[in-house]
Amino acid sequence: MRSRLDVRYWVGARYCPGCGSVLGDAAFVQEFWSGADRHFLCWCAACQLMCTVVIGALVGTEPER
Amino acid sequence: MLSAEKNERLTRVGPGTPMGELLRRYWWPVATHDMATRVPVKRRLLGEDLVLYRDGSGTVGLLAEQCPHRRAALWLGCTEDVGLRCGYHGWRFDASGRCLEQPGEPVESTFKERITATAYPVRELGGLVFAYLGPLPAPELPRYDLFVWDDAWRDIGHAELPCNFVQIMENSVDPYHVEWLHGRYGNFLRELGGKDAPLPVVSKKHVKVAFEVFEHGILKRRVLEGHTEEDEDWRVGHPLVFPHMLRVGAAGLATFQIRVPIDDENTWHVWYQTYRPDGGAPPQESIPVYEVPLLDDRGEYLRDYVDGQDIVAWITQGRISDRSKEHLGRSDLGVILLRRLYAEQMDAVERGEDPLCTFREPHEVIDLPMEREKFGSAVEFRQLWTRESSIRYSPIKDEIFELFGDPVPAWM
Repeated sequence: MRSRLDVRYWVGARYCPGCGSVLGDAAFVQEFWSGADRHFLCWCAACQLMCTVVIGALVGTEPER
Repeated sequence: MLSAEKNERLTRVGPGTPMGELLRRYWWPVATHDMATRVPVKRRLLGEDLVLYRDGSGTVGLLAEQCPHRRAALWLGCTEDVGLRCGYHGWRFDASGRCLEQPGEPVESTFKERITATAYPVRELGGLVFAYLGPLPAPELPRYDLFVWDDAWRDIGHAELPCNFVQIMENSVDPYHVEWLHGRYGNFLRELGGKDAPLPVVSKKHVKVAFEVFEHGILKRRVLEGHTEEDEDWRVGHPLVFPHMLRVGAAGLATFQIRVPIDDENTWHVWYQTYRPDGGAPPQESIPVYEVPLLDDRGEYLRDYVDGQDIVAWITQGRISDRSKEHLGRSDLGVILLRRLYAEQMDAVERGEDPLCTFREPHEVIDLPMEREKFGSAVEFRQLWTRESSIRYSPIKDEIFELFGDPVPAWM
């Protein structure tokens, strides 16, 4: 059973946003903070993609008409 | 944070672990030159107990600690003209692990031909003894410039630190700690000690930092307050040499800080210093070796100099820093980059590839980038560096000032 900390961690980034593979043992997933946003730097061992997943308040704005 | 599983993967260095397998693709300093003598000594590297010796023919050998016969420690042994003889029953082994003699067995016995001690390749370079614990064929021993310059003086400081090597390496891609640990905290100690003048160099604010993965590891650049991108600190920078060294210095002084994992919870830290004035140094008779103390007379950690402050920051993170409880921010991107690089290279090894900084071709020298001009005048930098680094304990620090023609500073 995962600890609460681990659950929080895995909710952030469990799958590669590029190829959809599970970010498993060989992958690298590191949480860091930028202001109020949680970022997860992810490196996928399957497709070698490095990217950052951002969990933050989603605010969508449309250009003024 | 980093998950507990990923922290394990990052920090465990024993045989069969992903990081242990990565690190076994490199040559490691296992001893200084003065430790390899006719008296066998115990060493520990990457979680393996070893015995180092130099036999009567001058050959240096590195064997697993336990004798294959009855498992007594081979440091309880005698060096012979060729090889090391176990002190318990006299079995004798050469540096390749071959059993040469079993005195108690019948003369006609071929038993010894079926016995091999675990032996590892060793090479001597620049006053250090390097060992390779990985799969054969071993890569070339990298001839990094500081190890091979023939016109420099050297000294070697060392200490065993009770913590995992990764937290020490992370410090090398964490430039902001300089202005706080060595700047604010260091100056705070100076204030308490009645020294008003703050250290000028380390107090400067970082305006900009950058990290670049390159062929030798990670190149670190920075612009400090009052400096520009034209300064060498940014234009040239200095490298973390993957997977285990920092190169740092300026003004004719250059140091490798080498972080050698003894096991998961201990690191042998080597400060490998070179002194190379313009025009070169005269020949040096031998390379002095000294121990860097961790504690003062009262048993407190020494914190009144830059390297001591670093050591205390590393050790107080715990034997293995619990990264599941950390909170990283944008100023930690260098640390994140290093962890990612370790993960990537562990994966490369699992796929059967050579990781970064393994060399298969013979070579004369590997030149590394490092800023030459830094923080004002060269004389001031050398005077500051000799006081604030482990050089303060070097037995040749007086001679270093003479070598450069510098005045002896007031603090000596």
